Amino acid sequence: MIALVAAPFGLKPYGIYLLSLWVVMTIAAIGLNLMLGYAGQISLAQGAFVGIGAYAAALLTTSGWPLWMAFLLAIALSLAIGWLLGYPALRVQHHYLAFVTLSFATLVFLMLRNEEWLTKGVYGISGIPRPTLFGWAAKAPIAFYFFCLGILTLVSLATWWLVRSPWGRAFTALRENPIRADSLGVDTRRYTLMAFAIGSALGGISGVLYAPLVQFIEPTAFNLNLSLNLLLMVMVGGSGYFLGPFLGAAVSVLLPEWARFGSDALYLIMYAIAVMVLMAFCPSGLLGLAHRVLKR
Amino acid sequence: MNPVLEVRDLAKAFGGIRAVNGVSFDVREGEILGLIGPNGSGKSTLFNCILGQLAPSAGEVRIDGRGITGMRPCQLNRLGVGRTFQLLQVFPQLTVRENLILAGQEHQKSMWGRLIGRRDAGLGEAADRMIEFFRLSALAQEKAGSLSYGQQKLLDVAMAFMAGPRLVLLDEPAGGVNPTMLAGLRERLREINAMQRATFVVIEHNMEFVMSLCTRVLVLAEGRIISEGTPEEVRADPKVIEAYLGG
Amino acid sequence: MLPAFFVLAAMKFGGLSFTWALLVGLLVALLVLGLLFKQLVVDPILRHGVLPLVISTLGLALLMKEGVKEFYSAEAQGFPSPWGGTNLTVFGAVISAQSLVIIAVAIAAVGLLQWFLAGTRTGRQMQATAQNPQLARVLGIPVDRMILYTFLVNAALVALASFLVSPIYLAKFTNGELLGLAAFVAAIVGGFNQVRGAIVGGLLLGVADNFVAAYWSAQYRAAIPLFLLIAVILWRPQGLLGRAEERTV
Repeated sequence: MIALVAAPFGLKPYGIYLLSLWVVMTIAAIGLNLMLGYAGQISLAQGAFVGIGAYAAALLTTSGWPLWMAFLLAIALSLAIGWLLGYPALRVQHHYLAFVTLSFATLVFLMLRNEEWLTKGVYGISGIPRPTLFGWAAKAPIAFYFFCLGILTLVSLATWWLVRSPWGRAFTALRENPIRADSLGVDTRRYTLMAFAIGSALGGISGVLYAPLVQFIEPTAFNLNLSLNLLLMVMVGGSGYFLGPFLGAAVSVLLPEWARFGSDALYLIMYAIAVMVLMAFCPSGLLGLAHRVLKR
Repeated sequence: MNPVLEVRDLAKAFGGIRAVNGVSFDVREGEILGLIGPNGSGKSTLFNCILGQLAPSAGEVRIDGRGITGMRPCQLNRLGVGRTFQLLQVFPQLTVRENLILAGQEHQKSMWGRLIGRRDAGLGEAADRMIEFFRLSALAQEKAGSLSYGQQKLLDVAMAFMAGPRLVLLDEPAGGVNPTMLAGLRERLREINAMQRATFVVIEHNMEFVMSLCTRVLVLAEGRIISEGTPEEVRADPKVIEAYLGG
Repeated sequence: MLPAFFVLAAMKFGGLSFTWALLVGLLVALLVLGLLFKQLVVDPILRHGVLPLVISTLGLALLMKEGVKEFYSAEAQGFPSPWGGTNLTVFGAVISAQSLVIIAVAIAAVGLLQWFLAGTRTGRQMQATAQNPQLARVLGIPVDRMILYTFLVNAALVALASFLVSPIYLAKFTNGELLGLAAFVAAIVGGFNQVRGAIVGGLLLGVADNFVAAYWSAQYRAAIPLFLLIAVILWRPQGLLGRAEERTV
């Protein structure tokens, strides 16, 4: 934790940007981990919710509204849409559900790209301002990083509470054995919808932070690749582990940049091979690997 | 007094196969009713129809006079009906204690109340008592997946009782349990039956278990009831002997 | 995407003529995308579940893309076609010879596959393996080899698709993503366990896609396969022609 607070002080602006990006992606990954790792629901649409949050923030703040309103709007939208997205999950499972969420994600991308009257389409929205909090302007890279870190802390605490509560237990039951859970009185339908709603809302929150971070957004950033990337983060970090998203996002965001210093051309190839090898030897991700090693 | 469970003309067909073919019976409060019959006679299907996992093709089910045909399993559980499954179903990643808390938590307060309330939903002591009662104390903090089959079976049965149900349907509770544990299981079931005034319906293949535990026995063959009575009466009934040995 | 580059590499680095390069490309595709893919990627991971495999194939896709970009070229490459740019006029509509060839080859390929699966002993063994691997093993069918054949057939079909499509879209390392997605959707819409389903799915998709683009909204054409997908998954998960698969409780 201390490392996170101290980290940005030695770095150049690009390094601070990467750290902030890691924070933002972690929030979205936490949401996906909640859906997938805890409640056992696959969603390939998390990237779309990041996009919804980002556009909500961009549109509101460039028209002069404060960022906290964007948070409210993004959370409300993501909760509602996420809840609706949960309905297919009541009918189908696993790869079918993955395809439905995948379709949804692509539809959102298409709408972002085509509805130029609202989103300015492929031209994107630029000049997204950073927030001012009670007079403190979170404009400089380091200041904004701390703002993001603060949000991440809040999100982490809330998620920790959720996971340790009876709801968390119900989610685990939903993941491991929905039929048995049902017969014990667990309203699997409601919990499934809740998992989708909350997980997607975290995606929306992540988007609201993403927009002022990069200050220029356009639809391609939120296409299927982002959703797949987030899925990769959750799996590589360790699905179902609380710290999994933190680790996974670090791997996905920071590792390729790090490796770039080693070998300019091949860093992506090495990253790809590393991911494949990890999945072959330890599908429960890096934290799963650590768990296995520590148990001995 | 109303019987706890009433089943009327229940039928379930899968395509052309009539798994359950017009079954009717009552279960009175406090009874331990045994349901036996050769393989394929429709016992599990009957359970699944009563308990909402399957929708019956015909017939009616009432609990305490209230129609429950086609209700979802979680609604039934809220009405005070519990069950165990033939295929063992505990939650392997949760500890024994957590499994038990889960089994009862949905009856405590409301969904939102549970979110902001205590971590164990107020069931910590009840879970501990259940663990004691079923002699699982040494395993309380173990992940359920690491228990032996027999121990998981005990946990399974314990879970069915956490919510203090009025009616419990047990699907082959003795299956795969070794003989030493079997006697213990039977005693536990008898004690709970007396303590909680709970009514049981038990599917079993283990004749000795059924005969020594149940107060009344129904015999199912090819989807129909062919005999009914006390364990001794049923055991002597020639129709029953033929169903098991003949054909 | 990849088989086309195998062919181009064979021509550029091996100096082979187009026809020989096609053959080499096909063989390399069978080896790499069939055998090696199965042994190195699928087998070790599949026993852990589908999701790790999905992530691994994401990594593989990245590997293939970056590999081609680094070791061959990041630019789009022309891919030769024996029919060139010839066009035919049929009932007043202009159709390129390439398109007709694609249709003809697709029909021939599916017909061949159908015949193989239903008419030959190996094909029937493959079907048996798909329906009930344990029983197949008991009956003496070499299950693992049957699964290998499935991968080889897939590799061959993918190579064929690559050779047919690359002349039109040019060979570039970013190719294949849209087509791969469309293939998935077509397979599901048509029905996962029916070969005929793939044709129905693909046809439905292609026609709907182009009609929507031409007569309604070009921008939302990509939404059509998705709507079809959602509709099929929610109301008829086994696909239009598929058979429903049972699930034991």
